[in-house]
Amino acid sequence: MCNTEQQWIAEAKTGDKDAFAKLVEKYQKPVYSICYRMLGTPTGAEDAAQEAFIRAYQALDRYDISRSFATWVLSIASNYSIDQLRKKKVTILSMDNEKHAWLAPPDPGPSPEKAALEKEKLGQIQSLLTDLNEVDRAAVILQYWHDYSYEEIADTLDLSSSAVKSRLFRARRLMAEKWQKMQLSSVPPVNSTAKRIAHETSTI
Amino acid sequence: MKHQQYKTWILLDTELDLEQHRELQVHLKQCSQCQSLYQATHQIAHLFKTSPVPEPSPGFSTRWMTRIEKVENRKSRLILGITLSVISIATLLLLSSVGLQIRAGMAYFPQLMLEMITLVAEWIIFLNQLRDIVSPLIRVGMKFISPVWLYTLGFSLSVITGAWIISLSKSRTLQRELHS
Repeated sequence: MCNTEQQWIAEAKTGDKDAFAKLVEKYQKPVYSICYRMLGTPTGAEDAAQEAFIRAYQALDRYDISRSFATWVLSIASNYSIDQLRKKKVTILSMDNEKHAWLAPPDPGPSPEKAALEKEKLGQIQSLLTDLNEVDRAAVILQYWHDYSYEEIADTLDLSSSAVKSRLFRARRLMAEKWQKMQLSSVPPVNSTAKRIAHETSTI
Repeated sequence: MKHQQYKTWILLDTELDLEQHRELQVHLKQCSQCQSLYQATHQIAHLFKTSPVPEPSPGFSTRWMTRIEKVENRKSRLILGITLSVISIATLLLLSSVGLQIRAGMAYFPQLMLEMITLVAEWIIFLNQLRDIVSPLIRVGMKFISPVWLYTLGFSLSVITGAWIISLSKSRTLQRELHS
């Protein structure tokens, strides 16, 4: 953790919201990203990410400075998202353009083909994640998108390393089964994406 | 090695040494089930890694500032509300307690008032009767007794009273001296 960040944390601990806003600015992307992967909608992700930062700000007195701030705030975000999923049973798979507005970057916009492909990929991802339980999903997200080790995932989700291994093992098995089914599926867009990815990976 | 072990290697994404990697590759060529699983896990990993990273819309931290201020205002209002509620409840309890006492007193109030009125009425009757008896006697007596006698009687009574007070104080002084 850099000195500037430590200074922001120290200032935020005294009630300086502007200092904490700088931390929000720095960590908004990973926090939003994990919330989005967990909840599946931009609205839900925005709300969860905002709430995670509010909880972090309110619990700043309990923050252990020896721990990584990123891990701590991601832990709050993932646990909040898990709670939200348990409470609301959010439907992850929704592919309307309005909800996935982030798929269209402002400047320059992707070509229609690229946008369609990304949209399709997103559908595939959310479809794979939907079948996992909330904690398994969080573990998968932390491993694949945040490159967390088993220990870091265990620390973030308050689990033991062996529990994380077990959960990831189960999650990968479920996702692989689903993926195989999707490849065999006769629905054209899913099949074509799966085949395209199969082709991409075979050429790597 | 058993098929299950290779499956575990694939699903746990275990870091393999060269020998293990070679062993797995040999098995994958022989086992279509493991081959399919291996491909699926790699394709999923590739899909995940190449997917676009979702980003919040611009102004996220500004929206956070607005939100935290709202939350803090709400918290302040909540604390104020709780404080006022506690004070209101305490006042209500106090008033209801006093009210219960007043109510208990009110239950006996007519009886108390009746007794007081009766007592006052009896005193009025007594004084009237006394006046009725004494006033004719005074009126008759005043005619026969000369004012000199009346002054003498008044003076005598004053002297006797004074002598009694003096003797009483002297006897108390004597008692104190005896005790000391």
